[in-house]
Amino acid sequence: MFLVGSFFLFAAFLITTCIFVIFSKNPVNSVLFLVLAFLNSTFLFILIGAEFVGIILAIVYIGAVAILFLFVVMMLDIQITTLMFNIKRYIPLALLFAGIILAEIIYLTVFKTSKDNLDTFIRSKNNTEQIGDVLYTEYFIDFQLSGIVLLLAMIGAIVLTHVYRPTIKRQNIESQNSTTAEDRVKLVKIKSGEGIKDD
Amino acid sequence: MTSLSIELTIGILKIFSFVVPVLVSVALLVYLERKVLGAVQLRKGPNVVGPFGILQSFADVLKLLTKENLLPSSSNKFLFIFAPMLTLILSLIAWAVIPISSTYVIANINIGILYLFAVSSFGVYGVIIAGWASNSKYPFLGALRSAAQMISYEVSIGFVIITVLICVGSLNLIDIVESQKNMWFAIPLLPMFVIFIISALAETNRLPFDLPEDEATLVAGFFTEYSSISFGLFFLAEYANMILMSSLTVILFLGGWYPPIDIFPLNAIPGIFWFVIKVFLILFVFLWVRATFPRYRYDQLMRLGWKIFLPFTLVWVVITSAFLFYFGLLPN
Repeated sequence: MFLVGSFFLFAAFLITTCIFVIFSKNPVNSVLFLVLAFLNSTFLFILIGAEFVGIILAIVYIGAVAILFLFVVMMLDIQITTLMFNIKRYIPLALLFAGIILAEIIYLTVFKTSKDNLDTFIRSKNNTEQIGDVLYTEYFIDFQLSGIVLLLAMIGAIVLTHVYRPTIKRQNIESQNSTTAEDRVKLVKIKSGEGIKDD
Repeated sequence: MTSLSIELTIGILKIFSFVVPVLVSVALLVYLERKVLGAVQLRKGPNVVGPFGILQSFADVLKLLTKENLLPSSSNKFLFIFAPMLTLILSLIAWAVIPISSTYVIANINIGILYLFAVSSFGVYGVIIAGWASNSKYPFLGALRSAAQMISYEVSIGFVIITVLICVGSLNLIDIVESQKNMWFAIPLLPMFVIFIISALAETNRLPFDLPEDEATLVAGFFTEYSSISFGLFFLAEYANMILMSSLTVILFLGGWYPPIDIFPLNAIPGIFWFVIKVFLILFVFLWVRATFPRYRYDQLMRLGWKIFLPFTLVWVVITSAFLFYFGLLPN
C-alpha cells in the first residue's frame, strides 16, 4: 500500500516536472525542473529496489550532466518570446521519438512479459554485487563498446570545437617553476654619471 | 498510537539527535577557527562573549537574525531564497548515513558511500543557483568558478573512494569502517588519504581553494548579495560541510570509531569518543591549512585537479587493484 502510494506520488511528480521542463518560459527554470525529474526517477528506481542504478543515475545526471546544462544555459542571453515561438518547430521530431519510446514500452510490457524474472533478480540479493557479477563477465564486450562510443563522442566534440590559433601564448609551468633569481634579477653597479649600458 | 506513528516519532528523535549536535558543533567550530587563527597570528581571538568568548558564534547568529533580509530588485526571488535553504538541507541530509559508532546511525543502507557522494555532488546547485538568481556580476562569476571547481575535484574524490572500495568490497559505510579494525586505510593508502584531504578542501571551498568567495577579486563570490539569515544559512552550510567531509575522511581512512591500537585502556573508551576526536583532528588540519597557505590562482587550481590528481588517482586505482589481485587479497 505504502509502496504503491509512493509510486504514484513520484510518478505524478515526474510527469508534472517533465511538463514544466517543456513549458517553462525561462530555460534555467527548465533545467532545474529537469533536475527534479531526474531526482524523481531516482526515487522510482529506489522504490523497485534498484538502489544502485538509482543513485548512479543521480550522481551522473544530476551531479554532472545537468550541472553542465545549467552552466551553458545560464550564460546564454535568450529572448524568451523567440524561444517559445521556436518550440513549434521541434514538435514533429519530438512526436517521432515519443512514438518510438511508446512502441518500445508497449512491446516490452505486452509481448515480452519477463517481469517476475526481473523482480526476483532485483530482490534476491544486494543488487550492486549482481550488476558487478554480470557487467564484467556476460556483458564485457558491450561495456567496453559503450566506453569506446563515449570516447569517440568526446574526441569528436574536441575536434569540432578546437581551433588552432598559432598566435596564442601559453604558460610553460615547468620553465616558470625552474627559474631562479639569477634568471630574472641582475644586480648592476652603476658608476655615478655613466648610467646603465643596455646589453 | 499505531506502530507507524511510533516509528515516525523514533525516527524524528533520531534525526534530531544528529542535527542538533551538528549545528552546535558548527557554532563551536566557528569559534575554534577564530581562536586557532588568532593563535597562529599571535592574537587573542574572541574572548569577550561568555567564558573565553565561547558564546561568540551564538551572539553572531543573534545579530544575523535581527538584520533585515534584502532582496535585490532584479533577482529571481524564489530561487534567491531557495538557494541557501537547499545548501543547508543538502549538508544536513548527508548525516542520515554517517555511522558514529557501529550501532549509532540513522539509516544503515547498502550504498551509503554512493549516497554521500551523490549528496555532496548536489552541493554545487546551491552555489550556482545563488549566483544566477542574484542577477549580479560578482556572484555570477563566483558561481561559475565554483561549479567548475567542485566538478573537477569530485572526479578525483570519486577515484579515491573507488580505491578504498576495492580494498573493502562493500559500499556500506559500517563495513568500510569494520574492515579497518586491524589497520587504518590511511597507512597503506597514504597518498590517497592526502589527495582526499586536499580535494575535500576544494570541495568545501575552503582556503587555499576558496576561489568562489575570493574577496580580493570577487567581493564575496556567490553570496555577495545575501544578507541576514540567508547569508547565515550559507555560512552554516559551509561549516556543516566541513564537518561532514572530515567525518567522511575519518570513516574512509582513519578507522571510524576504532581506537588507534586495540589494547585494554583504549578499547574500553566508547567509539563515539574516538570518532569525535578524529573528526576534531581533521578539522584542526582544515583550520591550520587556512592559516598557513596562500590562496591558489584559478589556473593553478584547475591544473592541480585535472593534470596531477586525476592521472595520479587513476594510476593508483590500477596499482591497488593489481596488487590486491596478484597477492589474492581481493575481498570476497
